[in-house]
Amino acid sequence: MNSGHLVHTQGTVKASWKTAGLLVPGLLLCSTISAGPIRHEQHFKVDAHPVITIHNPEGLITVKAWTKAEVMIISMPASTEVEVDAEQMGNRVDVSTRSISDSVAPGDLRADFQINVPEDAELQIHNDAGSVNVANVLGDMNVETVAAGVDLEDTSGYLTVKTVGGSFQCVRCAGRIEVSSITGSFRLIDLKSAHVWAQTSTGNILFNGAFLPNGTYSLKNYSGVIEVRFSPTDSFDMSATSLKGKVVNEAKLTPSTHEHHFLPRWGNALFGTFNQGRAKVELTSFDGTINILKRD
Amino acid sequence: MAVNNCKDFLKHLETWTAGEHPPEAQPHLRSCANCRGLVQDIDAIRAEARSWGGLETEPHERVWTSLRAQLEQEGLIRSTETEQLVPTAVPSHDSWLSGFFARIPRPALAGAYLSVLVALGFALSGPLTKQTNEARWLEGTQVATSPLSARLNTFEQTAVPASRDLNPAVTASLHQNLAIVDNYILLCEKSVQEEPQNEVARDYLYEAYQQKAYLLAQIGERGENIQ
Repeated sequence: MNSGHLVHTQGTVKASWKTAGLLVPGLLLCSTISAGPIRHEQHFKVDAHPVITIHNPEGLITVKAWTKAEVMIISMPASTEVEVDAEQMGNRVDVSTRSISDSVAPGDLRADFQINVPEDAELQIHNDAGSVNVANVLGDMNVETVAAGVDLEDTSGYLTVKTVGGSFQCVRCAGRIEVSSITGSFRLIDLKSAHVWAQTSTGNILFNGAFLPNGTYSLKNYSGVIEVRFSPTDSFDMSATSLKGKVVNEAKLTPSTHEHHFLPRWGNALFGTFNQGRAKVELTSFDGTINILKRD
Repeated sequence: MAVNNCKDFLKHLETWTAGEHPPEAQPHLRSCANCRGLVQDIDAIRAEARSWGGLETEPHERVWTSLRAQLEQEGLIRSTETEQLVPTAVPSHDSWLSGFFARIPRPALAGAYLSVLVALGFALSGPLTKQTNEARWLEGTQVATSPLSARLNTFEQTAVPASRDLNPAVTASLHQNLAIVDNYILLCEKSVQEEPQNEVARDYLYEAYQQKAYLLAQIGERGENIQ
């Protein structure tokens, strides 16, 4: 087990002791800083495809990829009664937040993180509240939250995201995407993914990306709006069903060339092929509206 | 011939519903809910048809007119000049019918009567089968969800109080979502009640229960962590 190379700094202000005239204000400044959040910086050397796990009750977690074969963790616990543990076991780095005093209120068990990882790192993040932001990481990723929103940018690999009420946004993501929530809304922008599965109960779902050949895209909600944007060059086989809501369609669909053996008999349904029907798109809602609109 | 599947059983269906129950078909019927349902449906139709027979209501005149026209068209009976010269006075039903039946060959009459009965049976068996199927679907859904619902409610009563020491933001979110999912379950159950065969509504109901189970697990997990 390796606890990494640790650097402690308090705050971000460096007090100057050059002149005696600053001695008193400096002491006052130091006393103020010591009551503020403590910043820990830890470094771990890793091999290819490291795994980083983060377990945090609440806070802002920002993860970015860099070119070094190293994981850098900057943590900022909310108080001195909250501690962040970061340990390395082989090629895995585990980060967790815990209280070191019984007097910590549940709402104060918080820490913020800025983490740098190699591009091919695999991430497992559990953060109940706050937010999770990940950019440029190409390894597989699993994110679970309750209320925290999740924002991904330029990621790849197999992405699984599960929230209770947190929203999800994915910009220029590739790989396989599976996301589920109860009340969270999803925004899937400029995706380059051949497999997207998104399901929420009362949230909205926006898909504005390419439908890759042989790709499968399944978007489902209970209520709310499902909106899909398509371009004239896209090629997909569309199935859209809203049991009690409406389906608005701007795509000129031709009768499907593929057989549907089990056509739903319920609600408002729409089936058809756009261009060659290379991708498969399934949109399902209970009483929400489904919009299939042209991309601007 | 051994009955190994539904296709084999269908070969015995006619004799089965006529009252003969070949021993080789019995094991399949015991194990196959679909075939059992089919037999029950046919039995119900037959019973219903028998009960109508007891009422002895006279068919509407249109039925006889249509039947006569059909029989004439097929050459089984022919119109006579006397009939064409029938005076304007309308004969009584008894005399018209007795004359009419006297001219029809008996096998043809029997066949036509049977056809009418079968047609009426099918026409009226539709709603009956639909009702039977809907009841069966509803029962199936209730059998699947009732124990689950009871377990989740029990778990909810124990898990929720333990969550009072959680992060307030997290607790609020979990409880808010739990209320939403409970409402979602009620709406799905209503839809399933209204349309028991609607597989989309059933899927949504099952998913709502899954979501409730997930939420309660989250609440329970956090409660345990605190304790």
